[in-house]
Parts: sequence; structure tokens; C-alpha cells
Amino acid sequence: MIEQRFKCPTCHEISTFYGDPGETQVVTCTHCNTKGRIIITGEKPGNDVAIEVSHLKKVYDDLIAVNDISFRVKKGEIFAFLGPNGAGKTTTVEMIESIRTPTEGAIKLLGTDTKTGFNQVKERISILPQEFHSFERFTVRETLTYFSKLYKKRANIDEILEAMDLRTHEKKLYKNLSGGLKQRVGVALSLVNDPEIVFLDEPTTGLDPKARREVWQVIANLRNKGKTVFLTTHYMEEAEHLADHIAIIHKGKIIAEGTLQELLTKYGEKTTLYIKNCHSEDAKLVLEEKGFEVNSSGNSDLMVKIDYKEKVLEVLSELRHECIEYDGVDIRGSNLEEVFLRLTGARLTEEEEP
Amino acid sequence: MNLRIVGVDFLYSIRSWSRSRGTVFWSLLFPVMLILLFGAIFSGMGDSKYTIYVQDLDNTDMSQSLVTILNKTGILTIKNVSTNQPITDYIKENNIKNLIVIPKGYENDVTNSFVDPDMKVNLTYYYDPTETQTNQILRSVISSVLEGLNMQLTQGKTIIGLSEQSTITENFGFIDFFIPGMIGFTIMQQSIYGSIERNTKFRKDGILRKLLTTPITRSEWILAKMLFMLFLAFISTSVAIGVGVLAFGIKVNINLLTIVIVIATSFLFSGIGMIIGRFVKEEETADMAAGAISFPMMFLAGTFFAVESMPAIIQIISRALPLFYVNEGLRNAMIYMNQTEALINGGIVLIFAAIFFIAGVILTKWKED
Ligand SMILES: Nc1ncnc2c1ncn2[C@@H]1O[C@H](COP(=O)(O)OP(=O)(O)OP(=O)(O)O)[C@@H](O)[C@H]1O
Ligand SMILES: [Mg+2]
Repeated sequence: MIEQRFKCPTCHEISTFYGDPGETQVVTCTHCNTKGRIIITGEKPGNDVAIEVSHLKKVYDDLIAVNDISFRVKKGEIFAFLGPNGAGKTTTVEMIESIRTPTEGAIKLLGTDTKTGFNQVKERISILPQEFHSFERFTVRETLTYFSKLYKKRANIDEILEAMDLRTHEKKLYKNLSGGLKQRVGVALSLVNDPEIVFLDEPTTGLDPKARREVWQVIANLRNKGKTVFLTTHYMEEAEHLADHIAIIHKGKIIAEGTLQELLTKYGEKTTLYIKNCHSEDAKLVLEEKGFEVNSSGNSDLMVKIDYKEKVLEVLSELRHECIEYDGVDIRGSNLEEVFLRLTGARLTEEEEP
Repeated sequence: MNLRIVGVDFLYSIRSWSRSRGTVFWSLLFPVMLILLFGAIFSGMGDSKYTIYVQDLDNTDMSQSLVTILNKTGILTIKNVSTNQPITDYIKENNIKNLIVIPKGYENDVTNSFVDPDMKVNLTYYYDPTETQTNQILRSVISSVLEGLNMQLTQGKTIIGLSEQSTITENFGFIDFFIPGMIGFTIMQQSIYGSIERNTKFRKDGILRKLLTTPITRSEWILAKMLFMLFLAFISTSVAIGVGVLAFGIKVNINLLTIVIVIATSFLFSGIGMIIGRFVKEEETADMAAGAISFPMMFLAGTFFAVESMPAIIQIISRALPLFYVNEGLRNAMIYMNQTEALINGGIVLIFAAIFFIAGVILTKWKED
């Protein structure tokens, strides 16, 4: 229920009515009894906001780990908190989870101030801490059951096992699982109380690319279930692949925020499509005629600037249409890595990462 | 306090514990093996020389010559006990297994027997009936010595006889001493290491952080874990007592005081584990710290060997160690039936337990930073 004010056309006095957004009501002016019809407009204040962080700050001894950051996470979205090692991701997420105490600032989870009301939202959230390892001698199923029994609200364990593709592993002891499976169990664990918000702190760090993709799949499933996901990561592909909204954190400050497209448009370069070993004289002309910006390199490759990756198909069908031969293509996209490099002059990921 | 959650955690702890061969070994099999091993070694097996204590209350030429003859057999090592010692206390305090008392008036009575045919004199032989093998040998050595004497003195008439007295009520074997020590030691190890795992490994693995965001409270968690530790403590106690009774025939009194000391010991060392875990964050290092504390304590607090047999300075140190009072308390309560002493020891253990457990709970926090 939200409040809607109504100005009477007859007496010009203001009356207040209550209803749900979008609802139409026949009302009577409380001053002159004129009847009228109103539509409740707008949304409940903050109703679509899952997490609201304002002026959050954390100081360790002489290090400012998180420096006055503010952001909102909308309900139902995957929000990626992207930043290099030591940027302050864990510090931030653990302050939101009430594991660490902020030096300054305020946090609201589902409209509740966590400083005073964290216990009331415990049932509605769930977390996966960084480098989480569960109890070694519980089976997968027992791990899920144990944690679910701590809550009043409990999701169906069989359904979670099914959804997370853990059925075949449910009887294995946790300590015998591979790293990828452990993380999958970790994500599965964050579903046992059917929470509204799931916090995942670097859920794929240290996994091989295959295991990482499996975990991504599982995280994408969370969004399909309507959960809000707060995901910290230092893998830009992860943010690119999963996130609806991305905040880039660097040295305790949020340096950029928006959807992937917004970030790329604002800070990125255009994507370049490399057409390899293309000897045709016409190719450049044909594409330029269609409005593409084309450069040729010394080794008979063509470089075509495109706005969106979707334009690739257009270029290729153009070439096919003209029967132009080439050896292959390569896309060097503008990506978050580049955005980050531009913003900070530093690289986001370490060298050894895939 | 949500007791349902406490129950869930308690049951899951037991399940997880029962799956670990390591912990089951250390908390069940290891004590059993140690008891059997130490019991076998120290309960007087296969020694070709036997020690016998002699208290010569007569102290005359004749009584001394009896001692000399016993000594000359070559099988016995004679140890003299001063005459001003009340003998039963002496037996009890020093864990004496075999002792002969030559009564006052021995020479007189033997001399009188030449004129008074009814005159007899009895030596008292204290022995530990649980050590049957040793007893048989000693008894036959002593009786043959006495027979020879009688033969010499009176051509066969028995003047010097042997009255036997079991030492069982006052005198306890090594195993009686050892089993309470073993119980204290096992509970100490379980509690310290369990507590360290919960406060270092679980912290590093993010389990504490995860729990912090679930509805379980810290008190519920600690209560569940303490119930689990008590469960382990009672299992170990039962196993140690079971082995003592079945394999060595010890007599054990299980009374309220014994139970209270077992419970307090569990809290005491869980508290010490928490304190270690608070200051040493790495599990391996914390385990080492626990070893550095518990290992010397095990020896100094008289787990295996009586503190009384140690140098004076060590005896002073012992009395500063909580495990000493656990050992003494358990021995007094369940074996020696000395309930007044046990009550004092138990009281000291309770005070130690309260201090360390409360300090442990206050010092450990789940929150980071
Ligand atoms: N408890 C602490 N005490 C002191 N300094 C800390 C503490 N925790 C983190 N820091 C420091 O604060 C900074 C931010 O750490 P944080 O763990 O939040 O980074 P992160 O973005 O999560 O990094 P990573 O990708 O390595 O997990 C780092 O420089 C770190 O060393
Ligand atoms: Mg981190």
C-alpha cells in the first residue's frame, strides 16, 4: 500500500488515499464530499530496491579499504561488483552482510537498516563467503539439509539438488568434491532458505574455465528464479556474461557504474572485426559503401569498426553476398578490461588468469 | 535460545564425528591402547627380582637376622620402612604392593617359645591380590624362609607364622592410578583440539561468517558444541573405565562428583582452546600451541606417574596446573573414595573451568576485523 494525494477539483483541498500502484479507486473528497476517480501512481518508495548503500566507509588502521561508496541494487538483477585484488570488494560485501562493522555509512537491505535490524532480514538473505569450505564430513545433501534447518523458511532440498545439477553427487562427502563442485554446493547452499538476495563473493575464483562456466550457469539460474544476486568478481568476463548492472571498484572507490552497454559506450572503444587474409580489392569498397569504417593492415587483413557485436553478421553476409574470400575472422571487442585500463591505467586481471 | 537448532547442530556434529576415522581413533582406540599397554608394562610383569618392604618394629638381633636371611635368598630386594610410620597410610601413599611387618616383641616371643610350647609369633604380610603371579612367588619364597627358620629353631614346630593381609582397600595398582589420568588426558585433548578447529579452521573456511548470517545465534552454537563435547567426554570416560574393569579388574565408583569433574574438564579445556584460537589464527600453528601446552601438562600433572615421585620444584609447578586437579579429583572421587579431597579438587577444577570458559567465550568473536 502506498499513499496517494488527491486535490479536489471542486474545493481544491487535498485528501490522502491509500492503494497499490496501478489501482483505480473511486474516492470521495474528505472536505466537500465530491466524488472522483483516482489512479494510484508511482511505486512504493524503495520497493524495487534490494540493497541500498550510502556513504559506506571502512578504515583498517591506516588503510582506507572502502572510501565513501554509495549504490543501489534493484530487485531481481544480478549486480556485479567488479574490481582487482584488494580493491575492497570483500570488505564492502561483508559490511553489507553485517560481518564487518562499517566505519561510516548506512546500509539498507530490503528496506531495513542493517545496523539495527539485521536479524530481521537474516531469513531473507543468504551468503557465500569468499573461499568458502563447508563441513568436510557432511555429504552434499547433509550440507544443504544442515543449513536449511537453521532457517524457519526452507526450500525443497530435492529441487535445489535438481536445479544445481547436484543429484549425482548428493551422497558424496563434501571434502571429496572438486573445487568446482564445492563452489556449486556453495551456491546451492545459498538457496536453502529461498532467500530474496544472494551474496556471492568471488564464486569462481580458482576454478578452471569449464567449472567456471558451470557455476555461471547456476548463477544465471538464480536470476531466473527471481533472486537478486550481488556478485563480486575480478573476472571481467564473469561480469560481462552475467551482470545486469556492474559497478567497478578500484582502491576502495566506485569508478564506474552502469549496464555493460552503458559502460562500453561511455568508456570503451568500438569493436574491431578482423577479416583475415582478404586479398579482394573490392572488400574495402563494398563495406565502406555500407557505411563501415574500414582499415587495412600491412598483412592483407581488413579491420572493420563495428558498434555492436551484432553487426558482425551484417559484415559477413555482405562479404558472402559479394563472394569475397577470406581465411577467417577475429573480433577484438571493446571490453571491460579495456574500460578498466582506460579508467585506471591498470590491468584488471592478473597475468595467469585465462 | 532455539533448542531445535541446538539439537540439529548437536546431531550433525555426532554424525560428522562418527565418519572421521582419525577422531574416532584418537578419542576411543588410542586411550584403550595406551591403557592396555601401560597396564601391561607397569603391572609387575616378568621381573626376576621382587621388591619387598620390611618394617621391623622389633629391631633386635633376631629380627635383623630374619631380614638378612630374606635378603640372602637373592630373589628379593629388601627396602626398610622406618618404624614410626603408620603402616596402612604408608602402603597407600607409596603404592606398596608387598610388605612384611615384624611385630614388636618378636625376639622375645621366639625366645619364650623354647619354654612355652604354645607361644607363637606372626609376621604380617601385606600383598596386592590383583597381582597373582608376583604373590605366588613371594609367598613361596617367604614361607620357605620361615620354614627353614622354624626348622632351625625348634626342629619343625611352627613358631613363626605368616598372617596375610590384602592391601586392596588401601593399596591401588598402577592401573587404578592411570585410568583416571587417562580420562583427564583424553578429555583435555578432545576439548582443546575440537575447540581450536572450530575457532581457526571454521573461521578460515568462512563457516563462521556464513553462520553469522543465518538465524543460529552464537550461544546456540556454543551450547550445541558443548553438548557434543560432553557426549565425547562421556564416551571416552566410559571406554577408559570399561577397559580398566574388564581387562584389569579395577573397582570404580561412579558418583556425582566424578560426573561433575568430567563436565567441568570439558568446559575448562574448551575454554583454553578458544583462547588459543583467539590469538593464533592458523589452525596448524594453533594445534602446535595446544601441543606445547597440553603435552608438558600431561606429564607434570601426574597423568602417568605420581607427582609425589617427582622433584619438589615440579611438584610446585604441578599444583598450578588445572589438569593436576582433574587427575587428583577423578582419582579421589572414583578410585580412592576420598570424597573430601575429591570435593576440594573438583571445586578447584570448577573454578578453573569457569575462568577459562568465560574468558574463551568473551574473547572469541565471529565478526571480522
Ligand atoms: N581485516 C583487515 N585488516 C586490515 N586490512 C584489511 C583487512 N581486510 C582487508 N584488508 C585490506 O583491505 C583492502 C581491501 O581488502 P578486500 O579483502 O576487501 O579486497 P578484495 O577486493 O575482496 O580483494 P580480493 O580480490 O583479493 O578478495 C586490502 O588492501 C586488504 O589488504
Ligand atoms: Mg575478496
